[in-house]
Amino acid sequence: MSTSATTPPTVVQRSSLDLTLRRLIRDRASLVAFIFIVLLVAFAAAAPLVEAWIGHSPIEQFRQTGLSPTGLPVAPNAEFRLGTDQLGRDVLVRLAYGARVSLLVGVVASLLAAFIGITVGMLAGFLGGWVDAVLSRAMDLIMSVPFLLCALALVSVFGPSLSLSIGVIVFFSWTTMGRVIRGQVKSLREREFVQASRSLGAGSLSIMIVDILPNLSVPIIVYTTMMIPGSIVFEATLSFLGLGIVPPAPSWGGMLADAGANSIYLVAWWLVLFPGLALLFTTLSFNILGDGLRDALDPKARPIRVKPKGAKP
Amino acid sequence: MIRKFQKLAFVGALVATTALAGIPAIQAQEGQPGGTLRILGTEDLDHFDPTSAALVTTNNFLRATTRQLISYAASTDELVRVTPAGDLATEVPQPTDDGLTYTFKLRQGANWNTPAGPRQITSADFERGVKRMCNPALGSAALTYYTDLITGLSAFCEGFAKVEPTVEAMKAYIEGNDIAGIETPDDETIVIKLTQRAGDFIFMLSLPTSSPEPIEALDYLPDSPDYRTNFIASGPYTPAAYTPDSALQLVRNPAWVAETDPLRKAYVDEIQLTFGLPVDAIMQQLQSGDGDMTYDVTIPPAVLQLLSAQGDEKLMTVSSGNTNFIFINTVSDNNKGALRDIRVRQALNYAVDKAAVVQQQGGPEISKPVNGIFGVGVLGYHEFNLYPTEGDKGDIEKAKALLAEAGYPNGITLKMPYRNKGIEPTIAQTIQASMALAGITLELTPVAPADYYSKFMTNQVNTKDGTWDIAPVGWTPDWAGGAARSVFQPQFTFNGTHQTYNYTDYNNDKANELADQAINAPTAEEVGKLWGQVDELVMADAPVVPLIANLIVLYHGEAVQNFQPYSLGVQGDWTNVWLQR
Repeated sequence: MSTSATTPPTVVQRSSLDLTLRRLIRDRASLVAFIFIVLLVAFAAAAPLVEAWIGHSPIEQFRQTGLSPTGLPVAPNAEFRLGTDQLGRDVLVRLAYGARVSLLVGVVASLLAAFIGITVGMLAGFLGGWVDAVLSRAMDLIMSVPFLLCALALVSVFGPSLSLSIGVIVFFSWTTMGRVIRGQVKSLREREFVQASRSLGAGSLSIMIVDILPNLSVPIIVYTTMMIPGSIVFEATLSFLGLGIVPPAPSWGGMLADAGANSIYLVAWWLVLFPGLALLFTTLSFNILGDGLRDALDPKARPIRVKPKGAKP
Repeated sequence: MIRKFQKLAFVGALVATTALAGIPAIQAQEGQPGGTLRILGTEDLDHFDPTSAALVTTNNFLRATTRQLISYAASTDELVRVTPAGDLATEVPQPTDDGLTYTFKLRQGANWNTPAGPRQITSADFERGVKRMCNPALGSAALTYYTDLITGLSAFCEGFAKVEPTVEAMKAYIEGNDIAGIETPDDETIVIKLTQRAGDFIFMLSLPTSSPEPIEALDYLPDSPDYRTNFIASGPYTPAAYTPDSALQLVRNPAWVAETDPLRKAYVDEIQLTFGLPVDAIMQQLQSGDGDMTYDVTIPPAVLQLLSAQGDEKLMTVSSGNTNFIFINTVSDNNKGALRDIRVRQALNYAVDKAAVVQQQGGPEISKPVNGIFGVGVLGYHEFNLYPTEGDKGDIEKAKALLAEAGYPNGITLKMPYRNKGIEPTIAQTIQASMALAGITLELTPVAPADYYSKFMTNQVNTKDGTWDIAPVGWTPDWAGGAARSVFQPQFTFNGTHQTYNYTDYNNDKANELADQAINAPTAEEVGKLWGQVDELVMADAPVVPLIANLIVLYHGEAVQNFQPYSLGVQGDWTNVWLQR
């Protein structure tokens, strides 16, 4: 009973990962966002299970039960939990398959963009000189292109497809990462450990990968996470404009576009609400998680406890 | 001719006009002149020039600004609406000379609004209008109707085709050459000689493409910005301020004399058209009273449902003879020319679920399945089905069997473009789903609405290269009632010269022969019977998959009174409504 009072306090040694996780978990918003993302991934992964459980394929048109005789969608009911769309397809099943598209595009595009951004940023920052000049101007150039217009033009020329959507998103989103990395590398390469490595005979490539890259893990993790919601919204925008995923394959942007077309939303609120909420919560979660990760990984910059909610530096 | 593909169709057929939700009695009321009629639309007019104007909606503009020899009274009564009436002509003449000669008298006092003041419209102006139809710069899409009938017109046009498309050269040719079959013994008399009898010739003269043209029109390239700026009106209104793709203002034409025009009352002082609005915004503005009429809006089924559930009395349906169908590309070598095999085309006819398309279109109240080339109300339309399926839902087994017989037991993959506008993407996916059940995989390609007919479908290279295998299209007859010719001739005949809308140069000599007999048949009954046989002959070849016949739904704002449809514009007549705010 009284032993605990007399036991001397134990000192636990915690790894940096451990500390980061603890800080992250202490941030309620990040935790909720993280749980939401896990659930969303599970939902997307289980899309075929959802399909099997409900018995509706995402592209099957239920003309008898899922549409009125005048071709209007039916509201959420026992058979269609989230209602049907303008073609009598099950919104819940489409939402699940749409989540796959959103996550796939979001994650793959962000990873690819991060990879390109890191490579270009490191080369520009480390090598400096004309390499830096050329790469930096290239980044400026891409950032100054009106990306939506250009994306629309590209897609109109090549025809809509999943891979083209990802390509377009990657092309226009790696530059932010590139600039951040370049700045970081520029300051890191003047540090003593780089000089130490060099004096030990390490080559440029080895220094970049062995010495500098690990020091960039924080911005890489944070910016990659933050890029995901941007990519998801970008994909939804393309699909909304009819230039993303090819129908009848479901995507959230496409579902919203369907709801907007032909005033169908006037009689079918569920067509706007469910994909809209899914998109909103997904992007919000990735943003909050990204914020939380930055705080957790770099506690010096902004101690979580005193940070007023929502404040940005 | 005319790009009938507008959902809004052309001309009325013989089905009574009905209101969807209870028919309000039209009160016999005196019209109130004055006010500005505000018309809202999504896209600008295609042409100002009546010769080249091709969209159904443009006919409403031309109703207000130009006059034809023959036209129709605007009316909610279907029969009145499709009965030819004298416009510039004092009356509708009976042909003489065994049906080969038509003599028209022009109304005196009907004027052009020239810069120098009002000037009488003369018989020479009419001939000039016909001559302009085959100008080499921008001619008429309806030309073949006239070249087939008017004596000497083809010779005139052959010569014209060799002329440089410049203002001077075209003017010189028009002024220096005559059409043998159009005589103008004096300023008010027109005598037209035909090569063969044609019961529908009078209807052709109601098309704005054959409108008279003033001499000043020859000073500009057809429908050029200069032509538009210097537009010389003959109708009760004339264009004033115009911002392309955005707004067009019509004001009263000072040269128009009410007494000379029995068809247009011209109550409103001004007509303001606004373009570039989304359909939703247009419907909301109409309901709130910020707009009065629509220009080119197909009312979405969802809105229709809401309005008719509210018992809105301003809804009205009119029949236009419009049909939607799928054209089959028999020209390209895709799939080793599979679509040249009639069994594959028959399989397509069996596979499609027409009931589903009807449902998607808004239900049986506004559309019905069709199985031939003619729409409801066209003389020659009759109930028959060479590829019958239960409830018009498609017969998957039969389609599969035919495909297997043709050598495609594992199905076939076809490319289907569709116009990315309104409800058409939904219809395309409906067709895709029903064909998929029969093992026919459709690859859908959206095409920008403005390009679909003008640049994609009518481009023969796309047809030959197999950019499309099957394509959903629509057609509205150019005139009312006895309009079978205007469905059959432009789309299903080929005499060696490619016709714009007969995408695959389809031809059937037997059908052509019967059609000739039908055009010259003495009684309506016989005409109908012969065209019915033409329909069956064509469908036996299965060059198309007929889908549905549509009724057109019209809606207008609270302030609009005396909303009477004009058959060529399939819209309430701008020149006969009045406003009560």
